[in-house]
Amino acid sequence: MIAGAWVCLLSPLAGAIAITLGGGRISRRTAGWISTLSTFIAFGGALVAFLGLWAADPSDREQVSTAYTWLASGDFEVDVQILLDTLSSTMMLIVSGVGGLIVWYSMGYMAGDDEERRYFAYMSLFVFSMLLLVQAGNFLLLLVGWGLVGLASYLLIGFWHHKPEAVAAAKKAFVMNAIGDATFALAAVLLIWETGTLELLGVFEDVDALSTTTVNLVALGLLGGAVAKSAQIPLHTWLPDAMEGPTPVSALIHAATMVTAGVYLLVRASPIFEAAPDVQHLAAVLGAITLLVAGAIALVQWDIKRVIAYSTMSQIGYMFLAAGIGAYGYAIFHLLTHAFFKALLFMSAGVVIHHLGGEQDIRKMGGLRTLMPRTHLAFLVGSLSLAGIPIFAGFWSKDGIIAASFALDSALGATLYAAGLIGALLTGLYTFRLYFTVFRGEPSAFVREHAHDGHGEGPLSMLVPVGVLTVLATIGGLVVIPGVWEPFLHWIDETAEPLVHATVTEDYGTSAIAVSLALVGMVIAWRTFRAGRQLVTNPGTWRVLEHKLYLDELYDALFYRPAAALSVALRRNVEEPVVERSLDEIGAGTIQVGGEVARVQSGLLRTYAVAIAFAVAVLVVVFVAVR
Amino acid sequence: MGNVLVWVVWFLAAGGCLATGVAVVSMTNPFYSALSLIGNLASLAVLFLLLSAEFLAAAQVLVYAGAVMVMFLFVVAYLGGRADAPWAGGPPLLRSAAVVAAVALLVEIVVVLGLAWGDNLTDPAEVSDSFGSPAEIGEAFLTDHLLAFEITSIVLLVAAVGGVVLGTTREKEEETA
Amino acid sequence: MDGPDVGWYLIVSAMLFGIGALGVMMRRSPLIVLLSLELMLNASNLTLIAFARQQGNLDGQIFALAVMAVAAAEVAIGLGLIVAMARRRMLLDVDQASALRG
Repeated sequence: MIAGAWVCLLSPLAGAIAITLGGGRISRRTAGWISTLSTFIAFGGALVAFLGLWAADPSDREQVSTAYTWLASGDFEVDVQILLDTLSSTMMLIVSGVGGLIVWYSMGYMAGDDEERRYFAYMSLFVFSMLLLVQAGNFLLLLVGWGLVGLASYLLIGFWHHKPEAVAAAKKAFVMNAIGDATFALAAVLLIWETGTLELLGVFEDVDALSTTTVNLVALGLLGGAVAKSAQIPLHTWLPDAMEGPTPVSALIHAATMVTAGVYLLVRASPIFEAAPDVQHLAAVLGAITLLVAGAIALVQWDIKRVIAYSTMSQIGYMFLAAGIGAYGYAIFHLLTHAFFKALLFMSAGVVIHHLGGEQDIRKMGGLRTLMPRTHLAFLVGSLSLAGIPIFAGFWSKDGIIAASFALDSALGATLYAAGLIGALLTGLYTFRLYFTVFRGEPSAFVREHAHDGHGEGPLSMLVPVGVLTVLATIGGLVVIPGVWEPFLHWIDETAEPLVHATVTEDYGTSAIAVSLALVGMVIAWRTFRAGRQLVTNPGTWRVLEHKLYLDELYDALFYRPAAALSVALRRNVEEPVVERSLDEIGAGTIQVGGEVARVQSGLLRTYAVAIAFAVAVLVVVFVAVR
Repeated sequence: MGNVLVWVVWFLAAGGCLATGVAVVSMTNPFYSALSLIGNLASLAVLFLLLSAEFLAAAQVLVYAGAVMVMFLFVVAYLGGRADAPWAGGPPLLRSAAVVAAVALLVEIVVVLGLAWGDNLTDPAEVSDSFGSPAEIGEAFLTDHLLAFEITSIVLLVAAVGGVVLGTTREKEEETA
Repeated sequence: MDGPDVGWYLIVSAMLFGIGALGVMMRRSPLIVLLSLELMLNASNLTLIAFARQQGNLDGQIFALAVMAVAAAEVAIGLGLIVAMARRRMLLDVDQASALRG
């Protein structure tokens, strides 16, 4: 089964290398097939690993496989090693499975683009990096995967590099992620300093021996990385801008997998966080804040992809909330269901955008239900799942999280519970605002114009993955039915023992409230839409929400402007006068000194003779003194 | 009595040495300078005799004063029409610097001599009568210092060839000039 | 040994050396410079012979003889150079040979 894990990891890398080396010699479709097949092979490997693990004895479900020693410095060693346990096998399945479907989908979406090969190479690179991240057996390899997914994200957001907004968005994403990378790296350094090892299992064993300050700092560092990567407040401003990339990229990287890496880290490093409960609760609080703020901002966005992006931010807030209170199983469960329905939503949105020739403004859309029935069904299923309506997937996972916060039995728990419920209401509101605006009502003038030059609803490569995800978004949640059977939770529990358990009554009670709130939201959205109004009418609130709470402007003023001013000042006052001119002056000075010294060479023999005589006189003194 | 004679001869020879030395350096006419140098070499030959270096005294007079200085006089006669340039000229400090250097050297030598006089310079070794005789010199040259002998002869050969080369080149330049 | 000690000879030689050095450094005519150079060489010859007498060792005299031979060779070449200078219508002035000027 370990072999399966290695195949899973290396197959997308091989695909990426193959496409890169093939270059212009392979056709664009071939590149797409290489990428898709390599990802599905990875899924096969992941399946083999998973099944092997499942069949194995529960005590045997933590396997480390080392390829070779990568770094060695004194006693400190870092190996290229993968850790195969229940958590990583689950993540492998999600990444390679959903990834494979999305890569297949992009064969249809990106068909005709001039640079398809580059796209698929980057996609395979991304899949490999994400798999490396989830399979890494030590923090350094995890950090490598972490950085590589950031790189792939940058490359893919800025894929259409002739678009200045895309380039700017890619830079923004990379720089904000770099902040997280830095805190992560600092945490890793601290771990080396205090424990002498970076191996996951080794560190977890030694956690109890660390001082509170150390453990808190390490946890903070890891949390910083997670917050940046998962676009939680305060490091969230890059995610909406990242929608400049192609839609499959948004689906894969900014919904299903990369942004969930933060959640994975929180769960994977749970022993560290459990030893630093304040930091863990901070993660939960940040998650709660994000889920509320993002949900509110989603109420006023006009770009279809941005609404879904804020929705992603909000749902990850739920996952952070879960991981922060110790409900690891539910965090990963919501990760799973979210991957299904969010990818579904993005992909159906992509079909809509494709069909309308690239238009993303929902004000121009409407009445697509009749014109695109299959896409409409998919989007509806996704929305129901997102809003948490039973029996769709999102219902099972989201309510579990809210119930877990109830079970926390503290002031914090109560606050988180309230936040979770309000979030459910908000989710219902913005999701169905989107659904009704795009699909219901009469087809708008724009739609009537453009819907003819669409390519039908899409080729097979786009429809089949959407179909598969529709099914998964419907039944995918049935792996956890509280009180009846919870195989998924037990599976994850083997790696990360949860800290809270909600009783079945609490669970279903919470569900009842949450579902009702979601339905209320749906109804309000329906009625507002029918009346032709918007959900937020207060112009002040509207402006604040539309400008994303002015956080972008705040960051610009706080960080960018001073840095730019500083660099201009340095250039003017340090670089030019000191560095540049000093080089010239050193040259001129040397020439001048040379000129002065050259005057000693008078060319007059007599002066030379005098000099020799003087030298001899001095030497005589020296010799006499020495003797 | 013999001692007094030696001292007198010594003073005369030494005085002659120094006087002619000053004359060499200070005369404006190079011809007179060359003649003074011949006188200097003769006085030195006397001093050599007093130091039991008979062969060397003879060589000095024959070779140095006889051949080398005559060569010098030939050249001076050839070029003699040109008046010697006066002392002055060159960088202003040159004269004082030169005097300082020369005096410094002199003083140092005297100081060293003074320091070493008592130890090294009071008892000259006893030497036989044949010390410094041609026979002894010849024997030393051909046994202990054979290499120096041979190399010196090569040096002289090179100088002769060099002289011829310089002479030939000069002729060619005469034709082209 | 009758007469003055070896040291007196050395003093004479030192003074001769100094005079010769002064001549080399101060005179402008190359002929006079060459003559002063001969003066210095002779001074060192005197020193060698004086020490040979002091030590009772003939090596000093051998050395002095070699010096004389070399001095002769050197004078030959030096005079050749001076005549070459004259041939080129250069002023017989040591300051004229300033090609080493940097």
